[in-house]
Amino acid sequence: MGLFHSGKKPHSGTVAKERLETLLAAERLNCSPQALQMLKNDLTIAAGKYLMIEPDEISVTISQSVPVILTARIPLKRNEDSHVKTL
Amino acid sequence: MSEVIVITSGKGGVGKTTTAANIGIGLAALGKKVVMVDTDIGLRNLDVVLGLENRIVYNLVDVIEGNCRLKQALIRDKRYETLFLLPSAQTRDKTSVTPEQMKKLCEDLENQFEYILLDCPAGIEQGFANAIAGAQKAIVVTTPEVSAIRDADRIIGLLEAHDLRDISLVINKIRPDMVRRGEMMSVEDVSEILAVPLLGIIPDDEHVVIATNQGEAIVGNDSLAGKAFANISRRICGEELPFLELSEKKGFFRKVFGR
Repeated sequence: MGLFHSGKKPHSGTVAKERLETLLAAERLNCSPQALQMLKNDLTIAAGKYLMIEPDEISVTISQSVPVILTARIPLKRNEDSHVKTL
Repeated sequence: MSEVIVITSGKGGVGKTTTAANIGIGLAALGKKVVMVDTDIGLRNLDVVLGLENRIVYNLVDVIEGNCRLKQALIRDKRYETLFLLPSAQTRDKTSVTPEQMKKLCEDLENQFEYILLDCPAGIEQGFANAIAGAQKAIVVTTPEVSAIRDADRIIGLLEAHDLRDISLVINKIRPDMVRRGEMMSVEDVSEILAVPLLGIIPDDEHVVIATNQGEAIVGNDSLAGKAFANISRRICGEELPFLELSEKKGFFRKVFGR
């Protein structure tokens, strides 16, 4: 077990930065991480009504830049091969 | 042309008052006419950091209430004759002053000084509203810690909401050794997260504690923190200077900023 998990824990500086990025993205928009999850679920349902989607591969992100941009990345199924479309 | 600059942070204990004091002394050392206003009513601080605590007769609230003239309340610094302090009141509370009154006071000070530095209390309540009311620029002080950065972000949002958009950042108490080991966020990390222009970086330096103990200036002395503060004052005057190399031994810019 140890052999394959020999990677060290991430440095605390990196952990701090990642925690802050998540927290501040939510606080700046007054939108909690839970609300973001609910938005993601709603987007999944909405897209799924019309298209064949890959529900496990959806990502919803909010940019740190100005203007702040909400990006939903929803991979779609097309016959056998999949096609990625960015909304 | 004078500038009214508020020094703020949200969180307490990040070095706001020390930064304000040393920027003020640094500007006076450059020959500027400077007044520093302690806006933390009820919790006086700036006087003791400047070593002027024994000279206070009148205070900010006395001026606003008309108990004395502005000139009577201004304390001349013991080092520089162009540096003055307007101390805060110890026995009153934040509600003794309104933002409108502060704005008027800043306008009066602008007639006499080139730089008006407002040392803001911690928090986001009335003391904050008072401190920023008359300001045209803001310096946000933070440390590379999650709590301080979160509060700094909140403060930046509040400043922008009050239409105060000339905001710059001072990152205080940096430990280059910890940054090198990846156990502290780097200057680059912090400025990327907060996304406002960087005005200065100050190392965590024991000279800061020693100078503050004695009510003396750090700026101008030979320590790294002293040089860092001097650079901030020069940047405020419009000079473009590279940021200090904080790492003592290895000596490369990259080591401070990167990993």
